[in-house]
Amino acid sequence: MDRRRLLGLTAALPMLVHRSVCALPAANLPVVLAVSGKVHNTNQDKLAQFDMPMLERLPQASFSTHTPWYAQARKFTGPLLRDVLAAAGAQGSIVRAVALNDYWVDIPFDDCQRFDMVLARLLDDKPMPVRDKGPLFIIYPFDQHSMLQNTLYYSRCAWQLKAIEVL
Amino acid sequence: MTDAPLPASPAAQPASASPSPPAPAERLAGAGMPHRLSPWFSVIGVLLLASVLAAAFVQARQFALLNMAVHFQDDYLVISMHQVEVEYLRLREQLRRDLDRPSSNTLQLRYDIFVSRVALLGSDRARRLITNDGNADNSVMRDIEGFIQRADLYLGGEAPARLSIQAAQVLLGELEVLDQPIHRMLLAASHRVAEQVTERQQQVRQHNRVSLALTGFLLAMVLLFGTIALQQLRKLERRRRRLEQLADQLRDARIEAEAASAAKGEFLADMSHELRTPLHGLLGMLALIKGSPRDPRAREWLLTADASAQHLRHLLDDLLDLSRLNAGTLVLAPGPVNLAALLGEVQALLAPAASAKGLVLQVDVAADLPACARLDPTRVRQVLYNLMSNAIKFSDHGAVWLQCRARIVAHEPAMLEFNVSDTGIGMDRDTVARLFRRYTQLDEVRGARQGSTGLGLAISRNLARLMGGELVVRSAPGDGSVFSLRCPLQALPDSAAALPLPAGNSAAALPAPAAPAARALQVLVAEDHPVNRLYLAALLARLGHQTRMVNNGQQAVDAAAAPSAADGGPDDGQAHPPYDLVLMDVHMPVMDGVAATEAIRALPGAVARVCVVAITADVFADTQERCKAAGVDELLTKPLSHETLQAMLARRFGQAGSAAAPALQTRDPVATDEPNLLDHATLNSVCDLMGRQQVPTLYGGFFTQAEDAARRMRDAMRDADPEALRRSAHTVKGAALNLGLPALAEAASLLSREAGSLAAAHLALAVQRFEEVTAATRSLCAGEGLVADASRP
Repeated sequence: MDRRRLLGLTAALPMLVHRSVCALPAANLPVVLAVSGKVHNTNQDKLAQFDMPMLERLPQASFSTHTPWYAQARKFTGPLLRDVLAAAGAQGSIVRAVALNDYWVDIPFDDCQRFDMVLARLLDDKPMPVRDKGPLFIIYPFDQHSMLQNTLYYSRCAWQLKAIEVL
Repeated sequence: MTDAPLPASPAAQPASASPSPPAPAERLAGAGMPHRLSPWFSVIGVLLLASVLAAAFVQARQFALLNMAVHFQDDYLVISMHQVEVEYLRLREQLRRDLDRPSSNTLQLRYDIFVSRVALLGSDRARRLITNDGNADNSVMRDIEGFIQRADLYLGGEAPARLSIQAAQVLLGELEVLDQPIHRMLLAASHRVAEQVTERQQQVRQHNRVSLALTGFLLAMVLLFGTIALQQLRKLERRRRRLEQLADQLRDARIEAEAASAAKGEFLADMSHELRTPLHGLLGMLALIKGSPRDPRAREWLLTADASAQHLRHLLDDLLDLSRLNAGTLVLAPGPVNLAALLGEVQALLAPAASAKGLVLQVDVAADLPACARLDPTRVRQVLYNLMSNAIKFSDHGAVWLQCRARIVAHEPAMLEFNVSDTGIGMDRDTVARLFRRYTQLDEVRGARQGSTGLGLAISRNLARLMGGELVVRSAPGDGSVFSLRCPLQALPDSAAALPLPAGNSAAALPAPAAPAARALQVLVAEDHPVNRLYLAALLARLGHQTRMVNNGQQAVDAAAAPSAADGGPDDGQAHPPYDLVLMDVHMPVMDGVAATEAIRALPGAVARVCVVAITADVFADTQERCKAAGVDELLTKPLSHETLQAMLARRFGQAGSAAAPALQTRDPVATDEPNLLDHATLNSVCDLMGRQQVPTLYGGFFTQAEDAARRMRDAMRDADPEALRRSAHTVKGAALNLGLPALAEAASLLSREAGSLAAAHLALAVQRFEEVTAATRSLCAGEGLVADASRP
């Protein structure tokens, strides 16, 4: 519950700006993702906070894939998850993805290396509103690897993502 | 000749004795088995294939089921659907809390999250879960969507109206109404998912069960398949072994057959040589006699020819014995035998030969032997004679010893042992080994010296075995040889030996029937060959029997069936008494002897039981079998000697048959009317030669001469001038023979032979008989138109 409150606070204070001592620049716009835990590059109190332009500046990946949530294949665009984690200087074994509704799921750190997991911010080249599972959506490249097409990996696709804890 | 059992060599015997290979039918059946099994193979193969396919199908179904579950992930969906309720509750909570300041960011966020969750319910799968329950859920969805529509006016994406407190209260009211329906809907959905899970589990279980059953079936099929394959392999292996065995047997059989064939060829070559030697002697002597019949040495030549002929006959007898032994048709005739007498007889037979070579011949009978034993005396005598002859042949000095003793060995039946030992040249090991296998002489030198056939030993050993005994030999070069004949000892009380040891060469054991009064037998002779007919007629006439000749089996049957019927025979014209004996040649035209015998046996009445003796030149066991089967009483082989015929008659008819050669017999003259007055063969040839017109003159003149001769004989008798009598008789005899009047010739011959030796009374009788025969012959000839009645004085 502490964590939830903390994250709620983060969401409630989007305008807070801190200069980080590390390479990660501070978020200027409302923070859409806060990476906590075993992160080295923080820009706010042991947190690596990202606003949308920061994510946009990272190298972008894009692919279409079928998912259980949409009837058709949809195109997902955004930075690779491992790039985001690298930008935060995250090092750990587990990535815990937390959604706006406090749903969380543990993703093995390895998955980010093995698969080109995308932290999607665009769906069919359009930003995703909260109503449509936005603003961020972790997506595995399901259509590239049939072994991913099972409940375990579907459950790791956190949508309405708001924070990541590296354990 | 090739299929004759005659020259079967000992090498051939193992061949026939070896276990016969399996019958061809059995072999074929064995070969057919794998073919019969192949349908089973295919049936099981098809079953296997079917069950593998079924298993694959079930597994594919399971895989599809699993994939479906993963794809639809209904169970996961239900969790996210429950999030709708959670978000609903959170939204309501937030709205209640923020009623006084309803336009907070937090409310906005909660509302967005709620809407995004509700959107999830719009997906196909979620809708399927919800709508399965009927229209009620659709109405809930509609209520929710209606609420969102209204709430979007204030909390929607773009340019919303400001949410007033009143509006917030209204929205809260609407929101609160949704509480129970949402809860029910989601609960129902989760129940449905649970049902689906259960159903799927059951399906999986069902599939598992089917899969298990299929696996079991598959296993059973594989086991069955394997078992059958194993059996097939075993069967193949057995068949291969059997074939191998068969091939071995065939190879052995072939080797044996080749050996037998070689032995047969060798035997034939040897035997033809053996037969040729005495035949040459015979022919040579006959040629000499033919060239100069009056040579004073002619008698000597005749004796030599006779010896050659005897030798030839011995050879043929040996061959016959061997053939019978090989064919298994030789039957022993055991009877009570006085051992001492038997040995004495053998000694008497061989003493001249032994003394001629200066050998001592010694015969001993062990004291502990019974005086009388059960043996086939003929065969024992034959073997002993053979062994003794050999011993004498192969010894140039010293002694030949025949010893008879009992041989008692523990756990074996008592045997009678005849040991024949000599002091001759002996034999080495190889010779002993070949002794019973080769028919020819021991070696070339000896063969040349001895001129023996060598058949004797083979026959002797076979005879010994036939008796249940054995013939063994011990010998060393220079040390002489000991041959031992062993046969089972069956002692008899002495009284059994009361029967005199039969003389002669056969029929020893046949008890002679009580001799009937001496009488002439009525003999029917069926023989197609004129020379043989002549010979038999003469032989029987000489023995004093009355003969009727027929040319073939059919005539013989007719004659036997109706002895009184007139068929142009030489002695018909009056009722014929029933025949005592039928001498039947086996090979004849029209109907052969075997068929004729069968026909006679099938006749009604006593005539069917007439004694039939077949005569044949062949010695094939087959012929003997056929004759026996047809009912022939006895089988004689050609050449038929005087002695053999006489012995047979003695055997069959007692003394009547064996009446010695025609010494003057006081016979009823009437009875002499019949026998062989005319020899039609000769008569016919005379007729052919002279022409029918000349014949009456010829015969008329002859009878005139004969009657003159009779008168001269009476004169000579009165004058006591046997030489004149002999001369007169001799002239008639030759002419009578030439004219085919055997009885007359015989009567004349008797007179010419015995003129000087017979007492006057007997001589008178003989002359009287001559006159009677002359008269009878003349009347018969007259009846046949051979002589004109008018010419008779």
